[in-house]
Amino acid sequence: MKHAAAVTQFIIEEFLPDVGANELDVDYDLVDGGVIDSLGLLKTIAWIEDRFDLRVEEFDLDPDSFRSVGSISGFIERAQQHGTDSP
Amino acid sequence: MVQQQSLVGSFVSHATDHPGDTALVWHGEETTYRELHRLAERERVRIARLAPGGDEPLGIVAAKSPSAIALVLACLLEGRRFLLLPTPTREGRTSDALVERACILHVLSPESPQAPGPAPGPAPGPSERPSTADRPGEPKAPHRTEPADVSFMFTTSGSTGRPKVVPLSTGAVDRFTTWAGERFGIRRGTTVLNYAPLTFDLCLLDIWTTLRFGGRVVLVDPARATHPGHLLDLVSRHEVRLVQAVPMFYRLLLDATAGSGRRLDTVAHVVFTGDSMPARCLAELPHLFPEARLYNVYGCTETNDSFLHEVDGTEPTDGPVPIGRPLPGVHAVIVGADGGILTGPGSGELHVATPFQTDGYLEREQDADRFATHHHEGRTRRYFRSGDLVRRDRDGRITLEGRNDHQVKVRGVRVNTHEVEQVLLDHPDVVEAAVVAVPDPVAGRLLRSVVRRAPDSRLNSLALRRHCAQRLPLTAVPSALLIVDDPLPRTSTGKIDRTPLQHACSPAQPTEGTAT
Repeated sequence: MKHAAAVTQFIIEEFLPDVGANELDVDYDLVDGGVIDSLGLLKTIAWIEDRFDLRVEEFDLDPDSFRSVGSISGFIERAQQHGTDSP
Repeated sequence: MVQQQSLVGSFVSHATDHPGDTALVWHGEETTYRELHRLAERERVRIARLAPGGDEPLGIVAAKSPSAIALVLACLLEGRRFLLLPTPTREGRTSDALVERACILHVLSPESPQAPGPAPGPAPGPSERPSTADRPGEPKAPHRTEPADVSFMFTTSGSTGRPKVVPLSTGAVDRFTTWAGERFGIRRGTTVLNYAPLTFDLCLLDIWTTLRFGGRVVLVDPARATHPGHLLDLVSRHEVRLVQAVPMFYRLLLDATAGSGRRLDTVAHVVFTGDSMPARCLAELPHLFPEARLYNVYGCTETNDSFLHEVDGTEPTDGPVPIGRPLPGVHAVIVGADGGILTGPGSGELHVATPFQTDGYLEREQDADRFATHHHEGRTRRYFRSGDLVRRDRDGRITLEGRNDHQVKVRGVRVNTHEVEQVLLDHPDVVEAAVVAVPDPVAGRLLRSVVRRAPDSRLNSLALRRHCAQRLPLTAVPSALLIVDDPLPRTSTGKIDRTPLQHACSPAQPTEGTAT
């Protein structure tokens, strides 16, 4: 979860401006917690694409990949891995 | 041939006459009318086994899929009324209370979709052979129903945990689908995009009218509904002819294609509904849909579609698109501030009576302030009080001006900002709360709120969002939640003054809303 800190910072700046980084657990369910809805998901994907220079394919999108800081971070890692594996 | 077939009767006829036609497209996979009919007959057997006989409504967990559509068809075939329930969240909120209030004894989820396989004909599947009713060629006839019998039951998108249940009769649904099929030329082979979730009444047009008349429905997965690339691909790949969606859908597509010269040439009819279409967005639509006629359609769950305006270039460039004129058979009156019916130009609340409307909410005590009886043009009718304030111009054309209560539309869902404020105030650490809807370039409109916490409270937005998410649908959880320690501004009469809040919040929007 090497991107957890960056993801936490983004989520906090975008959706929880009054919350400290240490208050947001990496496993906290952002959907059930009312932090991210479908538009929030859109913003998050746009940020991932911009920040990590990744193309998030529509068909990779499993909503569960975006439920927590940990799962978003894992998604970015897998996407980067996939990118370097491809010829 | 049977004359004046019902929705499900027409579907069965089409499955019999043209079994190989495509009924549904979902995740790139096609389901034929034969396959869908077989799925429905299989579900019908399951319904008869699990919930035999009774008159009580069935609950359907309506996560969008061909299997869920088959389950709805099975209820129609069995003549059972059914309530379309939103997919439960992990915490299973809202639906339980709804199920109880609607006296539902059985909540059904669609059978797992791996079932039928394409193999038609006499050889049944190798693993099971449930009953003769499952065999193609000799399905049971649809259960006989009367036009007054209830079939679909929708919930209005109330913002708290008490949505109202709106039962629709078979006759109302048949009249509506007849109108929609004729108006938009939906017939065998017509491809229609379904954007709304299955729990939305909009599906009566894009899914159920299409299946009645032998067309092909391209289903948008709600999980991908905000991905413009995916939406554009669906429309062009499947050569969609009719699109119905909330304005946000069009905004997403226009932003994603701006300056690209991309055109969706196959689309002949573009319907926008559920919210007001921004003039700028309207002006750009003809570039993306050069071959399409554009329509603003107005309706409520209680009445179904009631008004239609076909865009003709006479729309104001600085105001909302008119909702136009009543559909055939629809009666509308404007009730002025004095309670009298307006006869000429002017403003007031729109009351509507349609051939498609509900006879009243499932819980009759909820009808009281939402329906009104008027004697107008020589006849007495029961009208639905829309709560929408409208203006009628000299030409008889009607335009929305706002709401007479605290209701706003957020991404096509009716939200009552007053109720959201009440939910915020229910939190023990909240002393004051104000919620407003502000324009958003992507969503159309978003909720913003300011909350004052109790002295010495450590309340933060993480805890408050969780509190809201447990009590409200996600669209009603404010997008921006600001927690302060100072008192909120008040008007001279002591009410919370929301005007500065509305303006103070707006400038932050453009930087936040540029996600695409």
